[in-house]
Amino acid sequence: MADAERKKGIRRTTLIVVAIAVAFYLGFIMLGVLRS
Amino acid sequence: MTTAVADAHDSHDEHGPAKGIGRWLFSTNHKDIGTMYLVFSLTMFFIGGAMALVIRSELAVPGLQFVHPEFFNSMTTMHALIMVFGAVMPAFVGLANWMIPLMIGAPDMALPRMNNWSFWILPVAFGILLSTLLMPGGAPASGWTMYPPLVLQTGDAFPFLIFSVHLMGISSIMGAINVIVTIINMRAPEMTLLRMPMFVWTWLITAYLLIAVMPVLAGAVTMLLTDQFFGTSFFLAAGGGDPVMFQHIFWFFGHPEVYIMILPAFGVVSEIIPTFARKKLFGHDSMVYAAASIAFLSFIVWAHHMFTVGMPLTGQMFFMFATMLIAVPTGVKVFNWVATMWRGAMTFETPMLFSLAFVFLFTIGGFSGLMLAIAPADIQYHDTYFVVAHFHYVLVPGSVFAIMAGAYYWLPKWTGHMYNEKLGKLHFWTSTIFVNLTFFPMHFLGLAGMPRRIPDYSTQFTDFNTIASIGAIGFGLSQLLFVGVVLSAWKGSKATDRVWEGSHGLEWTVPSPAPYHTWETPPKARVAGEAFE
Repeated sequence: MADAERKKGIRRTTLIVVAIAVAFYLGFIMLGVLRS
Repeated sequence: MTTAVADAHDSHDEHGPAKGIGRWLFSTNHKDIGTMYLVFSLTMFFIGGAMALVIRSELAVPGLQFVHPEFFNSMTTMHALIMVFGAVMPAFVGLANWMIPLMIGAPDMALPRMNNWSFWILPVAFGILLSTLLMPGGAPASGWTMYPPLVLQTGDAFPFLIFSVHLMGISSIMGAINVIVTIINMRAPEMTLLRMPMFVWTWLITAYLLIAVMPVLAGAVTMLLTDQFFGTSFFLAAGGGDPVMFQHIFWFFGHPEVYIMILPAFGVVSEIIPTFARKKLFGHDSMVYAAASIAFLSFIVWAHHMFTVGMPLTGQMFFMFATMLIAVPTGVKVFNWVATMWRGAMTFETPMLFSLAFVFLFTIGGFSGLMLAIAPADIQYHDTYFVVAHFHYVLVPGSVFAIMAGAYYWLPKWTGHMYNEKLGKLHFWTSTIFVNLTFFPMHFLGLAGMPRRIPDYSTQFTDFNTIASIGAIGFGLSQLLFVGVVLSAWKGSKATDRVWEGSHGLEWTVPSPAPYHTWETPPKARVAGEAFE
């Protein structure tokens, strides 16, 4: 994998997993808001 | 093979580690950070272990001996939080930091500065948590599950507990991000996904579990914080909230957390058994699918921790059968380890001994888990010492033994020297005898009805409690031998590059000790191809 392509891949994967983590965090708080 | 690899490293000799404390404070090197994680984990193992000894000393005979009941509850809570988040998880992150880049042919983790940050958050988190021991009202005493409304009765320690749990979560999430990004993007050219070693595979799956569930725990404790200080009623029945909802959310995190602590252990054992059986791992691909299946199932079984709370019959049936289903992929793994050993030319060095004990003793924990999965029976077992016996079999001769196995297995690669094998075997045998002496009698105590989380008990439970306490003291002292073994590895005979006769994989093609920088030039296809097979 070329360096530039690898850097792009690292950025893309990081963004995806961060988005998953934030979605779970906010999603479960939203669940609490909707249930209470 | 080794020569070709060594050549690639020669040109980087000038890039040594920084001098002094700065090497550790500002390090972005995966090996240094791995070492720091492992040392931190061992320190926490001894602190959490000392708390376990307070618990077992109090329970050695009936009556109140040494501590007040409130402090006893703080000890059970702190012991659990420290062992789960401070000892077991950081130990596996340490092994991941050291070994994943070496195994996949990457020069370092993909996000090295974040790697430094995710480690250094941990001592702060545990400094805060431990400081609560000195606060008015004492340390948290509501159990590691932090159920409301009980946890909201914690004294001044409450916000510090919430903050430290948030920090632990942030650290774990950043570590998991690093593992996923590294494995997806930094593999050597020939290292296809299904060629990856099992340790790498199990860590990739574990990292996804972490990404999904640590934010859920963070969300739960955030809501606890707002309930306590900002007038919300997420979990307060008086304000229209639902305390049982906390239990659902907590265990949606808590059950996958169990697999976060055991999947990397499966990976370690899957590396070691083939080496000392001198055979390839039986059914590599089926092991990968089994680990992925376990991870998936771990998301749909959480309510088996809450059968006594009350739920519709269909709910009980679903969670009971889904839990039992986990035995299938777990059975695949145990079968494959046994099949790997079948007709192998086995030798029994310390890493192999710990791995064999893992297979037997973890399976005992698995079977008692199956018993607990049966909803009608769980009504009886719930909150008894049977549960304590079950999860300690999974976590001590399970996760901790696998960590020990991994440490012995890779120690020569890390230090460049062989450890003292006699001392290692002594550590193994004393640990194995005492761990069973500690936790096996707890099955009988639980079946006889002894509740967990109490500082005193009926006299009928005395004998098994005394045996368990003797075992715990023996197990604690045995772990001091491990420190001796680690120190012996600085004076032992020089380790070869391959270290073990049956070892295979990229990590064994680099010199021992592994140079400060490795794989700055990705391994050559031919070298990689041989190592992968």
